[in-house]
Amino acid sequence: MIKREVVTDAMYNAIRLGATKMPPDIRAALQRALEEELDPMAKKHLEVSLQNADLSEKGNGLVCADTGFPMFFVHAGKSTVIEGGFNTLKACAEEATARATAECFLRPTMVHPLTRKNPGDNIGPGMPKMELIFDREDDGLEIIAAPKGGGSEIFGTFYRMMFPADGEAGIKKFVIECIKDACYAGKVCPPAIIGVGIGGTADLCMGLAKKAALLRPIGAHHPDPEVARLEKELYDAARKLGIGPMGSRGINAVLAINLDIAVTHTAALPVAVNAQCLVGRRWVARIDGNGNINYTGVLENA
Amino acid sequence: MRDIKLPMSEADAKSLKLGEMVTVSGLLFTGRSRLHIRAVEDNIFPPIDYEKINCFFHVGPVMRQNGDEWEVVSCEPTSSIRFERYGADVVRKFNLRTLIGKTTMGPRTAEALKEVGGVYLTKIGLSGNALRGQVKKVHDVHFLDELGKTECTWIYEVENFGPFFVAIDADGNNYFEDLAREADAKMPEIEAELGIPEGYTYTEVNG
Repeated sequence: MIKREVVTDAMYNAIRLGATKMPPDIRAALQRALEEELDPMAKKHLEVSLQNADLSEKGNGLVCADTGFPMFFVHAGKSTVIEGGFNTLKACAEEATARATAECFLRPTMVHPLTRKNPGDNIGPGMPKMELIFDREDDGLEIIAAPKGGGSEIFGTFYRMMFPADGEAGIKKFVIECIKDACYAGKVCPPAIIGVGIGGTADLCMGLAKKAALLRPIGAHHPDPEVARLEKELYDAARKLGIGPMGSRGINAVLAINLDIAVTHTAALPVAVNAQCLVGRRWVARIDGNGNINYTGVLENA
Repeated sequence: MRDIKLPMSEADAKSLKLGEMVTVSGLLFTGRSRLHIRAVEDNIFPPIDYEKINCFFHVGPVMRQNGDEWEVVSCEPTSSIRFERYGADVVRKFNLRTLIGKTTMGPRTAEALKEVGGVYLTKIGLSGNALRGQVKKVHDVHFLDELGKTECTWIYEVENFGPFFVAIDADGNNYFEDLAREADAKMPEIEAELGIPEGYTYTEVNG
């Protein structure tokens, strides 16, 4: 059985590390982009951003001050047992978020949508966002904490219900136009990771886009070769826009374009886009059945 | 790289070229959506001398209180384009000659900046940790209880703060509008390469 305090600690440390460290695959991709860019301003944007991540790791600063929406993706196994049951996960996520906020690893950013009142601890209806996925074989828990910045979520979210006759051409047109809009003046903080959901219901479609943007390591592609082909075509197209880091003149508007699919209604073709910013914040805590925790910036799955 | 003294003089503002990188030194005030909305809709705004503190930094910093002192943990400029609805009104109301933020502002704010002889500076990369070290003193805070640490107004004294680059100059020209036109011009060729038929439109279901 995994103790409640172990889960809370794992969530707290994962979101703290997520807010203060840049994942290694993201750093390597930004370094590659820096070597590739030609425009001095494009290069400067990346140099400064990489230095900023170094400063954050060395001191107690943050990879980005907008720690945004606190989110946890929790993968559980067939025989995972948590003290207090799975219901306790929500309370653990709240405790972890409040503690990280009190210690200035998260900015108090979540407010009531109508009164705009800020409780100061990032907790309220729906937040922290926690998604529980039962897809493991063992008795452990994998927790991915992803504090997601406002720029990428606010300016990088698009949805369109298309129809079967709109076809692949419609999907491509929609995605490339979304990327152009999202990267204008650096709104989503490019080079972005673009998640695209195709199919399902509206909420499922958007969830696919979000998870494709947040939870897939750079360089991994969809296992379905047809989907992977679309990813590559769109990636190559995005590099021809002439938009670079932070909306400058350049090549790297995106670090990756990740698609995911769900079956959908025979009358429908829903497409969703969700962007992740250049710092790609997420950190992983893996807890085994005995309560031992390992932390890593490396994502396991594709 | 030039370091511009705050409050920025009209002559300095007019000498800055689109795309030029600069740092600034002196006093500035912070704020974001709530400052804009309250200043214009409710006529509530921070009680500061806007002739002396004339630089508006669009930011929601992370601040830590140590006894009576406030420490900047990180201050990453926030997306200014969100404030376009009230940006021009705020620039005119306080005669602001320096705006600092992320992204850009729209044509109405650019017009207001032209009127007052001011510029909009935007961030280079993510630099919240370097900027934090360039804040030499946190002088004051307004509306902390009402608005919280993120939306309230902090008064910072900064030194060689930046670098930023000039995204809107004192003649109202916008650095990003040229880039957007270039990207738009490339779209037909990109769409053709993606196999999107010329003149393609999505299925229209609303008549």
